[in-house]
Amino acid sequence: MAELQGLGAELSEAEKAGVEIVAVSPDPNERSHKMAEGLHLGYRFVADRDLAVARRYGLVHAHGGPSGEDVPRPATLVLDRDGVVRWLSLSDNFQVRPDPGDVLRAVRAL
Amino acid sequence: MRSAWLAIVSVVVAVGAVVAYALLIRVPLVRNHPGAYVVACALAVALAVLALVRARGRRWPAWIALGLTTLLLAGSGWFNFIAARIPSTPTVVRVGERPPDFTLPDAEGRPVSLADFRGKKPVVLVFYRGYW
Repeated sequence: MAELQGLGAELSEAEKAGVEIVAVSPDPNERSHKMAEGLHLGYRFVADRDLAVARRYGLVHAHGGPSGEDVPRPATLVLDRDGVVRWLSLSDNFQVRPDPGDVLRAVRAL
Repeated sequence: MRSAWLAIVSVVVAVGAVVAYALLIRVPLVRNHPGAYVVACALAVALAVLALVRARGRRWPAWIALGLTTLLLAGSGWFNFIAARIPSTPTVVRVGERPPDFTLPDAEGRPVSLADFRGKKPVVLVFYRGYW
């Protein structure tokens, strides 16, 4: 969530230029939606409840959750208009997220 | 510096580092250098040892400081180097390739597909855990 807020502050101008931000998690709760609305950012929060999409993307952290459940591996992808990955950020430590500045630069470089 | 003060400072440094990380976690510079709080705790332990070495008379404040700072060092080290680690997974998505299409429901239950944006807009796709 901290990543999304940081991202939102940086990307709101890019949003106006027409970048779609899609946030995928197994359980996006009401709080996420309210926060996004409050920030007027037009994020789309989509629910990947059984982690089917995360699995297809190879982004599952097996038993990484607090109760030992599988959770998504945090990742940020920047896709161009043809749907091709132009920038990808993965970390081996879930505390670390890409710098929103780096994401914005990747978007602007498209 | 007097032993008692050193003892207090050592605990403040360790606790302060952990609390500062938690409070400033939205700041990328802070969040992306979690090792810093471990280093701060190590520094705190060093200060507590110094407090112990310099103690004349009452030693218990320095011992308490050493105990607390060691505990925080062990805890922060465990969290940063063990608990927060994500094992490598085989790569599926790669730069220069198209990732798999998907259709998932948004907050209102409407289906959203990656293909909806193709030919129209770039997409920033963020996978996150749903809680920190």
